[in-house]
Amino acid sequence: MSRSKILVKAIEAVVLVFLCFFIFGPMLALVLWSVAMKWFWPHVLPQEIGLDYWAQALGLQKSLAIGAVSITDAFQTSIVIAVLVVVLAMLIAVPAGYVLAKYRIPFRGAILFLFLMPQAFPQQPVFVNLLFSFNKIGLTSTIHGVVLIHLMVSLVFAVWISSAAFKGIPPELEEAARSVGASRLRAFFQITLPLAAPGLLASAVFVFLTSLDEFTGTFFIGLPFISTLPMLLYSSSGYNLQFASVIAIVLLIPSILFMVIIERFLKAEYIGGVGV
Amino acid sequence: MAVAKSDASLQDKKGERLAWAFPLALLLPATALMLVLYAWPFVSSVYRSFLAKGGELTLANYQKAFELYFRDVVFSLEVAILSTIVAAILSITLSAYVRLSSGRLVKLISLLYRLPIFIPFVVVGQMMRTFLAPHGLLNIFLAQVGVIDLNAPLQLFNMQGLVLSFVWKQAPFMTLIILGGFQMIDDAFVEAARSVGANILQVILRVLVPMNRASISVAIILAFTSTVGTFTLPFMLIGGKIPTTVTVDIAHRVTYFGDWGVANALGVLMYLMVLIMAIYYLRYSVKKGIYEA
Repeated sequence: MSRSKILVKAIEAVVLVFLCFFIFGPMLALVLWSVAMKWFWPHVLPQEIGLDYWAQALGLQKSLAIGAVSITDAFQTSIVIAVLVVVLAMLIAVPAGYVLAKYRIPFRGAILFLFLMPQAFPQQPVFVNLLFSFNKIGLTSTIHGVVLIHLMVSLVFAVWISSAAFKGIPPELEEAARSVGASRLRAFFQITLPLAAPGLLASAVFVFLTSLDEFTGTFFIGLPFISTLPMLLYSSSGYNLQFASVIAIVLLIPSILFMVIIERFLKAEYIGGVGV
Repeated sequence: MAVAKSDASLQDKKGERLAWAFPLALLLPATALMLVLYAWPFVSSVYRSFLAKGGELTLANYQKAFELYFRDVVFSLEVAILSTIVAAILSITLSAYVRLSSGRLVKLISLLYRLPIFIPFVVVGQMMRTFLAPHGLLNIFLAQVGVIDLNAPLQLFNMQGLVLSFVWKQAPFMTLIILGGFQMIDDAFVEAARSVGANILQVILRVLVPMNRASISVAIILAFTSTVGTFTLPFMLIGGKIPTTVTVDIAHRVTYFGDWGVANALGVLMYLMVLIMAIYYLRYSVKKGIYEA
């Protein structure tokens, strides 16, 4: 190997080490803190590690420590909200996605525009003004209010992903079914829907994660009574690093796991929309 | 509903009015929901920014917003511009590296770099609070390699830390979009450039980047807009310190003072920060349709 090639390899290796540290360092910090029983400066690693904080947070072990948090209530709230959001979002998004994929409709440009707006502009002012309206009709700090917010945040993605799922199915298949006498409805349920199912499932998973990870909308609409996992993470991060780290990991695992599985169904542009 | 029309029967123009009714009915719930829960509050945010407490139209909210928060407006812009530039350079470099190299290592990298994209901002905030702390992992690491003295650690709960955190989250996302574009370019172009003696830098700047203006623009626009509009990360990392971002100010204005006028004026300023990019993105996406990568 020539000298310049060795140099290139060496530079490559150094860059990769820094890249790895840059990507994994923050995650490592989280893992270390979640098991750190005792970690005083200037020790490089925790002096004592254990799973006590995990056991307490997951409700397996009663804790008398000040600031101890059990995540089970927030976990239940998060799951209930996420499931409701998935059901509602799919009920609304699947027909809309089907129409956008298969029909040429009037006002198409305007509808696409409306469904793209949330990607193009910051959403926080929208949450703030929804808070204003929700205050008047008593939706603030209720499950209903938070479900509506999560629905708004995830709906556009649900529509786009569902629509892409339908677009991928050749129209000839449905037409063939209809030519042998199946009604349009029957052709849809027996041919198109099963073929689109993987893409629709990806859409549902995406909605679930969006709801599970949503922070900003819940912060404005849900507080003080609705405490989801991200809210609990925020409120405990000020005074209890270990518990906050445990919650962060609990949120991080499903996000990474499911996104890796459904990623191939998603257009790169939408993936950034999760967990704002 | 048998009169509904599909793509294939589009040439048939008869009965078009009736044929629209069914698809529009299916679109109605989604459209209505977005109109009520998105478009209406969006328009309200602009309208209320001109509304005084008494209900008359005024510019006073903007005047107050500038008096109190001009520094934060500049801060937000600086953070967004800096992070986007750094993330753009990093992501173009990484995309080019993955596109032009081969081997097991590259495959591994092209899997691993994606992880931050899937991590929600609230978790990123918590991570960075521990990672960037005065005695956090970053400072300990830098002290171990001898770059800094742990008695005078880097203070990173400020602009630098915020930019670093945004780059951590946005650069992989931008790489995903840009690398997708790079991979659509045929090897023939790269080989042609190489055969006439272009080095790697020239291949990147003369072939890959010019042929991918669209995907690079979209990546930059989405990262910039998201950085300007993100509340979670600055809220967790910097909070109410001065200076902070406009998003934190808006929350402060609303939750402590119930001051919707100034909060919305700040919101409109945020819209203005991203306006040119938003128009480009909307025109590009509506024109191009939604399915092409």
